[in-house]
Amino acid sequence: MKDPTRREFLWTSGLGLLAAGCAPTVADYAQKSGRRVVVIGGGWGGATAAKYVRLADPSIEVVLLEPNKQFVSCPFSNLVLSGVRTIDSITFGYDRLRAHGVRVLHDTATAIEPDAKRVRVGNDSLPYDRLIVSPGVEFQWEQVEGLAAAQDRVLHAWKAGPQTVELARQLQAMPDGGVFVLTIPPAAYRCPPGPYERTCQVAWYLKNNKPKSKLIVLDANPNIISKTALFRAAWASYPNIEYRGSNKVVKVDPGTREVTTELGDKVKYDVLNLIPPQRAGTIAVSADLVGADKRWCEVNHLTYESVKHKNIHVIGDSTIGLPVPKSGNIANAMGKISALAVVSLLSDKPVPPMAPGNTCYSWVSDREAIAVVNAYKIEGGKVVQIEQKLTPGQSEMWAQNAVGWATSIWQDMLG
Amino acid sequence: MERDKVMPIALISLLLLALTGTAEAGPLDGPGAPTAVICSACHGFAGQSQSNTMPILAGMAPWYFKKAIQDFAAGKRTSPEMEPYAKQVVQFGLDDVAAYFAAQKRTVTPVTSDPAAIERGRAAAAQCTLCHGASGKGDPAKGVPDLTGQPPGYLKSQMLLFKADKRSPGDAQLKVVKVLMATIPDEQLADLAAYWSSVR
Repeated sequence: MKDPTRREFLWTSGLGLLAAGCAPTVADYAQKSGRRVVVIGGGWGGATAAKYVRLADPSIEVVLLEPNKQFVSCPFSNLVLSGVRTIDSITFGYDRLRAHGVRVLHDTATAIEPDAKRVRVGNDSLPYDRLIVSPGVEFQWEQVEGLAAAQDRVLHAWKAGPQTVELARQLQAMPDGGVFVLTIPPAAYRCPPGPYERTCQVAWYLKNNKPKSKLIVLDANPNIISKTALFRAAWASYPNIEYRGSNKVVKVDPGTREVTTELGDKVKYDVLNLIPPQRAGTIAVSADLVGADKRWCEVNHLTYESVKHKNIHVIGDSTIGLPVPKSGNIANAMGKISALAVVSLLSDKPVPPMAPGNTCYSWVSDREAIAVVNAYKIEGGKVVQIEQKLTPGQSEMWAQNAVGWATSIWQDMLG
Repeated sequence: MERDKVMPIALISLLLLALTGTAEAGPLDGPGAPTAVICSACHGFAGQSQSNTMPILAGMAPWYFKKAIQDFAAGKRTSPEMEPYAKQVVQFGLDDVAAYFAAQKRTVTPVTSDPAAIERGRAAAAQCTLCHGASGKGDPAKGVPDLTGQPPGYLKSQMLLFKADKRSPGDAQLKVVKVLMATIPDEQLADLAAYWSSVR
């Protein structure tokens, strides 16, 4: 074995880069020496996939592209709105992934070249043997008139981070007697119960801090689409909620501070939280991974390989066709399943049949939660649901379990 | 960078890598592993739970793991979280998953308890040792499980479920433990949980 050059040594030692104080760039990975998996997106799916490829086979090089230097959890972020948790308590770094040998690059994939098996990042490119794409969701700004031009003022807070903090600030600054309007897009969107949990958290905050205020929920769907009876029961404690189903918002005017529904109703607000309609993350659309609907990506249920492009696997909220919700827990499971599938395929071994699972807690106050759990099997090469189970009510015990779940799964992704 | 500065950095790199490397990386190629990794979302990688509420599965005796899964799947041990997952484990192969967790290195919970609570629990622990043994490691022949090293929150929640007869209601084998739990104040249950969690 020849002596490694200084450059080779620093790259292969991983942490040598940190010790040397120089962050790696895409150009440093323009050539690959062995088998390489590139992962696009360091969220619930991508971070998990990157870690589990390394756990399953440390001889495979893994490069993770994630523009953000810190991960902020969407689950539990509704508690930041109500002031029950801080944003810091749901924010994590990527250093432990680096310790697993994942090359984390804080950059954005600009294109995928399936034939050349390369990811382009600006003028540079990353060759891969297998690519895992986990880009989350992108907003369809154009679906709501006036929204594209007002992106900086009309908050979604549907990707946890600065918007979460700003929406919490606006809620706290709203005068008692003010109207908070929350709008919910038509399914499918990220985290089906999320808007209804947010309804609980905003209503809980208002009830305790601004008792003359009102929360108007304009839902494009005809009814609550997840944990329906449990949320209805929880809302009995919040007479400040005015829920309007089948009220799709089609226009926003930040000047007059009003939204317009499909039915032509105009609703005035003091604080607005408009959750826009969604599709797969931009790279999935530009790389032609989405189906005829131009929104979501269809995949093989055993390997998560795209039905449109070979050697490219799509996981998480961007996928469609499996009987699973767009949840963090599902993305985490898809990360592991796709990782083990990719390792098997790169080693010419059979792909083990694996099914995801879903555990989803929703906080209905500062101390009580509800949950839904889904289990799955593989039948005829497809993911099929075995059972869905709901908690019989809300309780502090489910909330304690929710904390346990979050502690564990954040560790599973990034620890 | 000067060449004479490279080697010290390289040595530091190696040292850092040795200290922070993939120490927890376990085998993922056993027949139960593909199903077991789904469990790790809540129970930690290789069943080494990091939270206060989820039990550690690493190193768990197969007889106890299988009984728990079978009872959850049958709805006998009621849990809206575990019943669906138990059915999924049964679907993919209970024996393989039990063998996988039994083969993992047993760790103890990283959750620590108040030393005073541990001492109070130690003083009251004799009532547990009659069945679970002085070591708290249990007795497989009698179907009595190991209490040691589990998260205190998990141990306490199970004792409260026994006390309220909400864990496996009607299970004749559990009658004795439920009668006992009914005599213990909730605060002492917390102390006992702290103690058994601390036992190695």
